[in-house]
Order: sequence, then C-alpha cells, then structure tokens
Amino acid sequence: MTTAAIQTIGLSKTYTLGFLMNRRVKALQSLDLTVQPGQIYGVLGPNGAGKSTTLKLLLALVKPTSGRALIFGHPAGSKAGRAEVGFLPENPAPHDYLTGREFVRMCGQLRGLSGVELDREVDQALARVEMTRTAGLAIRRYSKGMVQRVSLAQSLLGKPRLLILDEPSSGLDPVGRRQFRDLVLEEKARGATVMLCTHIIPDVEAICDRVAVLVGGRLVKEGPLSELLVSEAAEVELTLEGVDAEAVRAACPAQAHLTTAAGRVLVRTSAESGTALVGAMLQRGGRLVSYTPVKHSLEQLFLSTLESERGAVGGDLT
Amino acid sequence: MIGQLAAIAWNGFREARRNRVTIVVAIFAVVLMLATALITELTVTTFRRVVIDFGLGSMTLLLVVLAVFLSTGQLSKEIDRRTIFLLVTKPIGRGTFVVGRLLGTILTVSVLQAAMGALFFIELGLVGESVGAAQVQAVAMLTFELMILASIGTLMATFAETLTSVMVTGSVFLAGHLSSDLYLMASKAKAPAIKLAGQVAYWLIPNLSRVSFRSQATYDQVSSGETLLSAAGYALVWVAFSTCAAVIVFQRRDFK
Ligand SMILES: Nc1ncnc2c1ncn2[C@@H]1O[C@H](COP(=O)(O)OP(=O)(O)OP(=O)(O)O)[C@@H](O)[C@H]1O
Ligand SMILES: [Mg+2]
Repeated sequence: MTTAAIQTIGLSKTYTLGFLMNRRVKALQSLDLTVQPGQIYGVLGPNGAGKSTTLKLLLALVKPTSGRALIFGHPAGSKAGRAEVGFLPENPAPHDYLTGREFVRMCGQLRGLSGVELDREVDQALARVEMTRTAGLAIRRYSKGMVQRVSLAQSLLGKPRLLILDEPSSGLDPVGRRQFRDLVLEEKARGATVMLCTHIIPDVEAICDRVAVLVGGRLVKEGPLSELLVSEAAEVELTLEGVDAEAVRAACPAQAHLTTAAGRVLVRTSAESGTALVGAMLQRGGRLVSYTPVKHSLEQLFLSTLESERGAVGGDLT
Repeated sequence: MIGQLAAIAWNGFREARRNRVTIVVAIFAVVLMLATALITELTVTTFRRVVIDFGLGSMTLLLVVLAVFLSTGQLSKEIDRRTIFLLVTKPIGRGTFVVGRLLGTILTVSVLQAAMGALFFIELGLVGESVGAAQVQAVAMLTFELMILASIGTLMATFAETLTSVMVTGSVFLAGHLSSDLYLMASKAKAPAIKLAGQVAYWLIPNLSRVSFRSQATYDQVSSGETLLSAAGYALVWVAFSTCAAVIVFQRRDFK
C-alpha cells in the first residue's frame, strides 16, 4: 500500500474569540480525508466553509483542536512534512521591499537550496509563471496578479511532491488562469500531488480528479469527480414525433417530465427509462428527433448541495 | 540550517537598509555628532566631559530606538501581514526563524554602532581630545545593552502587537537603568510589600546600568577586565533567557 499524500483523521479546529475567549467558531469539524499520491484534489465550499483552515492545519500554521493530519506519513507541521510541500496561501503577502527575484530566492534558501541549483530553480520557477521580465521590480510595485504569480513561483521551488494551493487563480487574468491549469497538469505529469481550494468551478471540472465539498466546517461530499457528477441520477432529454402524448405518458415513469409542442413530445426522464421509452415508441411507429444526455455540471451539484444546508456561510458559532 | 539562519538574518539586514527609518537615524547621527562640535565651542572647563557625555548619550539613544523598533517592528509586521505564512511553512524550524530574525536586528544595529563609534572617535580627535580605554569600553559594552533590548523586543513581537511591543521594550530600557536604584530604595522601605515589589522588579527587569559604562567613560575611569566580563555574562544570560522564551512562544502559537 502506498502512503497517502495527505491523510486527516478527525481533524477539527475551533477558534475562540472575544475578549474573554468565550465565543467559539467551529471552523472545521472532524474531517477525515485521504488524498492519494498523483491526484489533483479540489476542495470546494462556500465562504467560511473551513477550506483555508484545513490547509493551514496541514501546514501547522494553526494547531488542531483535536484530530491529526499526516503528510506522506509525517505529522503535519513536522519539518519532514513541510519539506514535501510547496504552499501558496490565500492572499499571499510577500515582503514588499524585496524584488520578485529576491523573494523567490530567499524562499529557495529557506527550502534548503543553494548555489547553482538555487539559481536554476529560481529562474525556472519565475519563467513558469512568466515573471522573468518583471522579476527585478520591487514587489511593492506589483499588481495583485503579479504578486499571485511570484507567490505561486515560490511554491514550485525544489519540486515538492505535494502542492497545497489556496485559491491559486485568484487575481489571474484569463490567460494566466489557463496557464495555471496547464502548470498544475504539468506538475501532475511530473508525479506531484496537488490539493487546491478554489471557487472557480470550471477549473475544478477541467483538472481535478477528486473533490471534497465542505459546508460550515463539515465534509458533505467527497469522491472522484466523474462519480460525483453521475451519482446524481443521470437524466436524458428526448424529443419524439408521430406519437401522441397519452401513449408516451403511459409508457414512462411517473417522475418523467413531459412537454408537448408543435406535434412533438419532449420528455425528460431517467437514463434507463429513456432507453426503454425510445424502444417502445419506435415500435409504435414514432420517430426519435433528438436524444441528449443531461450532464450535471459541478456547479449544479455544488448549488444543490448548498441548498440542502442552511446558513451555509461560516462555521458554527456558539 | 546555517544557510536558512543566514538567509533570515540577511533579509532582516536588507529590510532595515531599505527602510527609510534606518537611513534617517544614520543621517541624524551624523548631524548630532557635528552639532556636538559646535556646542562644545561654548564650554571651556568641562569640555572633554561634555563632548564624551553628549556623543555617547546621543549614540546610545539612537541605537536603542533602532534596536527597539527593528526587533519588534519587523517580526510583528510579518505576522500582521501574514507574510509569515510563506516563511514558517518552509522546512525551517520556527526556532531557527526567530533566532535568525534576532540576529538580523543585532547585525543591523551593530553595523550602525560600529559606524557611529568610529564617527565618535573621529570627532573626539577633531576637537583635540584623546580617545582612552574608558571610551572604547563604553562603546563596545553598548553592544550588550542593545542585545538585551533586541532579544526582549523579539520576545514581545512573538505574541504582542507592534505598539505594545515597542512600549514595553522602551519601558524596559528606562526601567532597566533605574532598576538598581529602585531596588535600593525598596529595600530601605519599611513596608514588606514595597520591599517585595522592589525585589520582583529587580528580577523581572534587566539591570541595564550594570552593562552600561557611559558614566565611567565620561570620567575616564577604566574598568577592569573582570568587571567587563561579568557584565557581559550578565547580559548574555538575559539574551539567552529572552531568546528561549521567544522561541517557545513562537513555536506554540497559531498564525491565523
Ligand atoms: N483567525 C480566525 N479567528 C476566528 N475565526 C476564524 C479565523 N479564521 C477563520 N475563522 C472562521 O473559521 C471559519 C472557516 O474559515 P476559513 O478561512 O477556513 O474559510 P474558507 O472556506 O477558506 O472561506 P473562503 O472561501 O472565504 O476563503 C469561518 O467561519 C471563519 O469565521
Ligand atoms: Mg479561504
């Protein structure tokens, strides 16, 4: 059995607030997750769902209230654990008095790189985020997207086995977003595991192998992207001609949705009953005009998940 | 680990160098030193004493201000702005990070101290006063006083906000020069509560007059090697103590 890239066991974080430390926010409640090596893992959820908290726990920026997390078998926050991770925090704030290159270089030194290897890694990382030309400018003079890019560059240094990225494409222009997706896929091809939080669902659909949906600090859905999308009963939409609506109604299940227009019958029903229906109607001399599988987009899945949770924004307050 | 330590320390030095405050302090030092030469034209009898006192005093004040602001400001700004997220998530011990930060402050302050010391000696020469062992001792021992303040500033910055840290560390400097007087006064007091308070303060606040040799320099009193060594030892114990505390606090804290 291979060691999981990330494993969390009953991981929880409660923040105490207020002058008397008497208010609590349950930012994350008993999270159990396993991320296998080589996957691109998406963490989704509304604002305040506990996504960033989860990532911070994985890097021991905050300590868990209970539970624990392992990075390639090392306790999260141990030096060995951190050595495996390239981390991009949410709204990164690199030192603004440094130039982009100086900052990335210093990060390389903190990763333990030196000499020729350091120079090469820094150059490569800057080139991969297209910041070579502006690397000599003070970060104070950077735009938001440029700051995001150099911060992403520093996470790539030293070819870590695991990338943990919190809202990586925030502030990037459309071209930058596409480049970012390609970059993540390149990292995957190199054998790296990637965990990313994002609100940009098309990104997730495009690159993630598996997703977890957090709402209010609780894990509400988890699985391979392909399964999550079909697990919501797949439906088809079909249009028939040359048969009357009554006959169609009689031949399909009660939940099916029928519309008649211009002598055609539009049916929306589950995939299996759709196939049976087509067979029956063709026998009766009907014609099939169109047949479209209705694919659930991740967005629909996400929205329907949220609808079932009330007061989705933020963790539980007590 | 040495490479990481050096990277953090060097970065602190670079930050200070690019910070306008440091440049302002440096310019201010030059102006003050030059001004001394003018003012002392007026006094005649105590000429030497005034030049030394004023030169050492202004140098100390500027460097103390710098040590307090750099040790507290740089680290708490990193924590405040969450730059720290990008740093302590690297495979570097949090202890290494804090010590690197402290070394950066000490490095910066020492470089300026060396420059100001040289300026001070040159100025003495220019106004026709000799530089004796007592003056050299005072300038050298100032390093230890600054190290104590920098380590306490760093300790404060690991958990408190910038303003609090600056105020507390600044107060330590003031109280540190009074602490032995306070102790003496308190020990003569009748009420046991005051006696106790004096003792507590004596142990909680570093006795900075013990590591300061400015008045000796003013009166050209050369201190023995033994005295200097015990003062340095006392200072290093304080530095070690505050640094350990800073490391422990920093290792335990959450970065939200
Ligand atoms: N420093 C903090 N102190 C107190 N509560 C906090 C702190 N940081 C986060 N929280 C709370 O923890 C919960 C989860 O926050 P978190 O930052 O993990 O959300 P998120 O999923 O990353 O949201 P977003 O999509 O907005 O980035 C929220 O309810 C928030 O109020
Ligand atoms: Mg977040």
